[in-house]
Amino acid sequence: MSVPSSCSQPDIAPAEQRRGGGGGRSLARKTADSVARAVTDVLQNEELAARPGLLQRLDPRVKLLTLLLFAVTTSLVHSVWVLVVLIGLTMILAGTSRVGVTSFARRVWLSAGLLALLIALPSALDVFTPGTALVTLGPVSLTEPGLMGVATLVARVVASAGFALLVIWTMRWSDLLRALSAMRMPDVVVATLAMTQKQILTLLRTVEQIHLARESRTLTRGTTRENRAWVTERMAFVVRKSMKTADDVYDAMLSRGFTGAMPSLVRLRMGPGDWVWALASVALCAAIVAVDRVVGP
Amino acid sequence: MSEADFILKAVGHEYRGGVPALAAIDLTIGRGQHVAVVGANGSGKSTLLKMLDGLVFPTSGDIVAFGAPLTEAGLEDPVFRRDFRARVGFVFQEADVQLFCANALDELAFGPLQLGLPRDEVERRVREVAARLRIDKLLDRPPYTLSGGEKKRVAIASVLTMRPHVLLLDEPTSALDPRSQVWLLEVLEEWRREGRTVVMATHDLSAAAEAADRIVVLSEDHAIAADGTPDEVLAQRELLLSVNLIHEHTHRHATRAHKHAHAHPPADEHGLDHGH
Repeated sequence: MSVPSSCSQPDIAPAEQRRGGGGGRSLARKTADSVARAVTDVLQNEELAARPGLLQRLDPRVKLLTLLLFAVTTSLVHSVWVLVVLIGLTMILAGTSRVGVTSFARRVWLSAGLLALLIALPSALDVFTPGTALVTLGPVSLTEPGLMGVATLVARVVASAGFALLVIWTMRWSDLLRALSAMRMPDVVVATLAMTQKQILTLLRTVEQIHLARESRTLTRGTTRENRAWVTERMAFVVRKSMKTADDVYDAMLSRGFTGAMPSLVRLRMGPGDWVWALASVALCAAIVAVDRVVGP
Repeated sequence: MSEADFILKAVGHEYRGGVPALAAIDLTIGRGQHVAVVGANGSGKSTLLKMLDGLVFPTSGDIVAFGAPLTEAGLEDPVFRRDFRARVGFVFQEADVQLFCANALDELAFGPLQLGLPRDEVERRVREVAARLRIDKLLDRPPYTLSGGEKKRVAIASVLTMRPHVLLLDEPTSALDPRSQVWLLEVLEEWRREGRTVVMATHDLSAAAEAADRIVVLSEDHAIAADGTPDEVLAQRELLLSVNLIHEHTHRHATRAHKHAHAHPPADEHGLDHGH
């Protein structure tokens, strides 16, 4: 069989005739790179959770409950200085758990901290919070009590996000599910969570391949409208594929006798170190709340 | 014939909208037989396997499994369902679909735990199967960190821990590198010695010829076009051409044009392919 002549000759328009042939990265490439980063992040979390650090050694249930206790304590604290101490505690825990203090701080401050600052900053204006003006911005100014309120909120968000990130970074997904199951979380919730992460990863890889396939066959960057139409159509494809995959996964579960429960072979056991950590955490949280009552506003 | 595991009588299936998937299938699968169901893409192989596993049900005709009718209502009965699921294991084409637990250890333990076996027994089975399939070192790993071949091994192991009597395999050699394909054929040979029934859907004629003692050919009309030993079926060149399992391939040797039947992948034992 001979190859049609139309396929054997390259059909490439001269460079000057191509639209948008600039040197920037295409939408497909940018999306594929973002997806690849997301997948890498998940895989990196598994590696962090396997490191021989302080939090990694704890029983998953103890770790989940105590970090939740610290997060609740954070929400009860009013003094910005006590909140700063709690932020310091998250840094110490990150360091002793060998997850990289710099990357931990960057992640917490750049995502949660910056977002909280942007949302809260307008409330420091004298229009909303009267008081002594510290910074004047034309007709309005930022007040001292307003800025103190913003600092308290940002510190609280950063400390809470830090404890949450410590759970994610120091606990394997499988251990988290076991901990939730042991804490009497309904089986249907645990089963859904178990499949969700895996399906998200599978679909992310599909999306990455879709965009790379387009990149490999695309010579121009296309118009915004064309890109939008293509992305919309591909989103519909991914939704259809995710629904089909969900059906197939459920079939696979039924095939192996799924009865609605997600039991695990691993039995969680608390050691002396877990008890010490749990008691120390409760005592520390009580002390933090007590100190806050004394020094807080 | 030996005692039958499955008897299909005039079984048909239509998807929503009346799209046919299987048409008037009469098929008996004897205990201990190794049957390869071959056919082109869309011929209904996977649907047939899902029917044998009680995941899809006929829109016409009847299926009898281990002497009892296999129906949706029948599988609602917990006793029958447990007995049926313990007897039949299904390895899906896409390992990603089958690996839904957080790590390989839970994956292997899932089936036996669902059957209500004691934990000690489950643990013993998991260790035994993991050692046999050489996946001991993968047990702690989440499925998404495994390679394609490793995923397939874990998927097969997750079924073997249930010790099913019947194994249904959908395209078992797909996504496997050559070494893993050889490993799989060795596993199938072991199952033959153990007297387990195997039904595999494939369009890999080479694997079918090697692993099965009976080949059932599905046509593109979703009906059975042939049923016999590998030698009998694979010798029918015109039949295989008509059901789109092989195709005519023309190429040149120096100045001479040469035409022959071609299968993907090659089935050279039966003269269906031409070595290059």
